[in-house]
Amino acid sequence: MDRDRERGADMTRGDEAAFAQLYRDYRTRLHQYALSLVREREAAEDAVQDAFLGWVRQVAAGKAPRQSAPYLYASVRNRCLDRLRRRPELSLDDAHVELLAAPAGDEERIGLQHALNRLLLTLPEEQREVVVLRTWHDMEFAAIAALMGTPVNTAIARYHYALAKLRTELDAHG
Amino acid sequence: MDDERIERLLRGYGLPETPPALDRRVLARSERIFAWARARETVTGVTREFACAFGFGYINYIVDLVTATDAEYRVDLI
Repeated sequence: MDRDRERGADMTRGDEAAFAQLYRDYRTRLHQYALSLVREREAAEDAVQDAFLGWVRQVAAGKAPRQSAPYLYASVRNRCLDRLRRRPELSLDDAHVELLAAPAGDEERIGLQHALNRLLLTLPEEQREVVVLRTWHDMEFAAIAALMGTPVNTAIARYHYALAKLRTELDAHG
Repeated sequence: MDDERIERLLRGYGLPETPPALDRRVLARSERIFAWARARETVTGVTREFACAFGFGYINYIVDLVTATDAEYRVDLI
């Protein structure tokens, strides 16, 4: 977090390199997070772009947010939810996005990737969000709950419901 | 399969790469915003110096007073 504050100060002085580093640090995670929320490539890219440029505008105006991660996650989330309010979530058949990437050479994971991706996409939105944030973004349940505006126990319950669903489906697939 | 095994399975996957076009777009637009902010800051600085040099320093004071928001004031106190 101190590093975030230093970066904010650098960027207030117009240090584009500090922003480029911040962008590199968060782009992949925020892109996956946005994909998991809107299940649509173009909308996810727009959300990520607008969140980062919103940050830049704040910094350029001398109002750098105190912490970058909570700001960026909340910004992406709000933009995605706004998008979903204006246009309902795509049906599963139309959702051609990949939320995960198998490591090269890992045959077991490569073989399961398509099925697992599809299972994640079929989870209810709020369960999918918790699984994504917990699994790939290393967020504590308290941080997830704060981001989603729910009690911590709700976030934990959603996570376990989601895992139970994945387990059932994966067992059924053998 | 238990929860722990599913967690391990999921964590073994990485994240999809961001499209290079998105990277280019964000970085190019952010550069333009920073450049505009720097130009604005330069113009503001020169204007303030001129105002002071010609005995209108009180105008700077009034502008600061009017443009400072409550939020900024609170942040300064912290």
